[in-house]
Amino acid sequence: MSTVTEQSSNVKIQVKDLHKSFGSNNVLKGIDMDVREGEVVCVIGPSGSGKSTLLRCLNKLEDITSGKVVVDGFDVTDPKVDINEVRRHVGMVFQHFNLFPHMSVAENIMLAPVELKKMSKAEGRERALELLERVGLREKANARPASLSGGQKQRVAIARALAMAPGIMLFDEATSALDPEMVGEVLQVIKELADTGMTMVLVTHEMGFAREVADRVVFMADGVVCEQGAPEQLFGNPQQARTQDFLSKVL
Amino acid sequence: MEKKRTAAPTGRLARWIAAAAIGLMALVVGAPSAVAQGSESVEGQTYVIGTDTTFAPFEFRQNGELTGIDMDLLRAIAEDQGFEVEIRSLGFNAALAALSSNQVDGVIAGMSITDERKEIYDFSEPYFESGVQMAVAAGNDEITGYEDLEGKTVVAKTGAEGESYAKSIAEEYGFEVKSLDQSATMYESVKAGSAVAVFDDYPVLAYGIAQGNGLKTVTDKVPGGSYGFAVNKGENTALLAAFNDGLAELKANGEYQQILDSYLADPTAAAPSNFFDLLVKSIPALMTGLWHTLLVTAISFAIAMALGLVFGFMKISGNIVLRGIATTFVNIFRGTPLLLWAFMFYFGLPQLTGWEISVWTAGVLTLSLNAGAYVAEIVRGGIQSVDPGQLEASRSLGLGYGKSMQKVVIPQAFKMMTPSLINQLIISLKDSSLLLAIGFTELLYQGQQIYAANFRVTETLLIVGIIYFIAIMALTKLANYADRRFNK
Repeated sequence: MSTVTEQSSNVKIQVKDLHKSFGSNNVLKGIDMDVREGEVVCVIGPSGSGKSTLLRCLNKLEDITSGKVVVDGFDVTDPKVDINEVRRHVGMVFQHFNLFPHMSVAENIMLAPVELKKMSKAEGRERALELLERVGLREKANARPASLSGGQKQRVAIARALAMAPGIMLFDEATSALDPEMVGEVLQVIKELADTGMTMVLVTHEMGFAREVADRVVFMADGVVCEQGAPEQLFGNPQQARTQDFLSKVL
Repeated sequence: MEKKRTAAPTGRLARWIAAAAIGLMALVVGAPSAVAQGSESVEGQTYVIGTDTTFAPFEFRQNGELTGIDMDLLRAIAEDQGFEVEIRSLGFNAALAALSSNQVDGVIAGMSITDERKEIYDFSEPYFESGVQMAVAAGNDEITGYEDLEGKTVVAKTGAEGESYAKSIAEEYGFEVKSLDQSATMYESVKAGSAVAVFDDYPVLAYGIAQGNGLKTVTDKVPGGSYGFAVNKGENTALLAAFNDGLAELKANGEYQQILDSYLADPTAAAPSNFFDLLVKSIPALMTGLWHTLLVTAISFAIAMALGLVFGFMKISGNIVLRGIATTFVNIFRGTPLLLWAFMFYFGLPQLTGWEISVWTAGVLTLSLNAGAYVAEIVRGGIQSVDPGQLEASRSLGLGYGKSMQKVVIPQAFKMMTPSLINQLIISLKDSSLLLAIGFTELLYQGQQIYAANFRVTETLLIVGIIYFIAIMALTKLANYADRRFNK
């Protein structure tokens, strides 16, 4: 933890005046956001508002144009930071699962712990089976990803993201690519994870789920945080016109 | 027959020989000399001699062995004078180019002694008196002399005496001269009817007709040039002197006439009688050719894979310099003919650098750089066809770029690249036949050697074609099996 920055001990993610541009296109225009340990934050908002980009800046899948991002004590914007080390503390789940098709389900999960020399192959496999048990797919350990349903793939992806025992989990529209009947099983796994006290940031279109699971909901529009608050407050009594407009369309 | 160009010295060995020769001459004229080793200049030395591939009866292959008047004469002279020869069967033009670039010490290739050539080379005493003759298809009764050629096309060998003679009378008799590279192909084109007659050196024609090439001579021979053995001007004088001494010796003891008679008096003995006979006789040489084809392809393709991986990755690199280097490499070798590089590496590079480059080195360089350019594009395409989400997922787990490439991206890219790589391997195998132009002894070259000696062009090519086909089918099956096995 070479780059620990001053922050209250229970803040896991700190974002200050984050800007991100793709060429001349300014996607994030100054985001400030803190996430406390164990907090579940859902980010909602219309398409193109920058939700996914914000999430991808947290583990530097996108280069940060300006501002400051501190994750689990690492200053991500410090050019000297070992980004691979940071990413081992942050699990990420993608909309399109991105499972490795040439490996079995168990091998997908074992890859990082074994390659990064955290575990032997046998330990890695045992860990993979435990995680699969947790997402209810232990019997699929030797299957290829191509033989799984969308919901099963996403549950494996969650197990894979947990393999390095991260303190933070990021979900990038984890249920958007799923058939409606499979959304429930994935949300169930995410909810169980939330109940364990995992710090999580979720970009989601599932308003009902956000309301149920989130400690805090952040509404983004046009690259800025427009409004945020407890779910019952944001959904029940939105203050901003943009928020009201958006919610009237999706609820 | 004739053709030819330049000349120069052969590095340390040639300089030593030249010095020794000067010493020898000094001794001969009785001048006091410190160069005592002069008398040893030829004895025990090994000389590399270039020759044509396909100029029966002067040089051709029989059962895989290089034989013919030139070969027998040269070996007899070498034995008589106590030196060794290493013969390189390169093709006429290639042999002369090799002499110029000092890849060989001398050339014996049924080459006419002309004034032009004498400016560049030193010739031995003439060892054969040649002359041009005209032949037509055996069944052709319409052409009985030059006056019947009005409005017709004849063939002659590029740069040879037959060509210059045919051209010198073309206007007078109103015919056209088309030039080809080899006697065998000239005879085929007369038989096929694309030309009515061929002008060639009379011993070559006589030998071919005796071998059953389906032609007949219809004019008297025009007395013409004499053949000589050549070295670069001012170089290898001891070798030249030894050749002359040996020739005089063979003429005196009758061996010279014996050699000539064995080819010109009764040359029919060796002609294969039917297709099966031809097949049996040619298989050993063709198998050697196939082995060389497979070996040069395998070595080249292994190098091409390494080059392709390096340059393929450079092409997708974020570094503009690396990308530029890779793009330049690919553009150069995709944008120029393979054959040009074969000539460049074998003839050009030795002259530019002074290095001795073997035909294998030149062949492997040519094929591997050419295939490497294509493999680089296949690698780039394969990697770019892998969903970027795969790399992101791997990186988000904390694996570095190299590890992610190795474990996640490349295995998937390789699976997608496999069909293209198999395709490129087969193209490289077929392209290796172009190396015959620099005298690389691959399969088609061996075929050429065989039909140049027996004039059974069509049947020989058919056999060569079938061997290529079988080899490539087998390779394809093997590659597809490996693909299924490893890329489940």
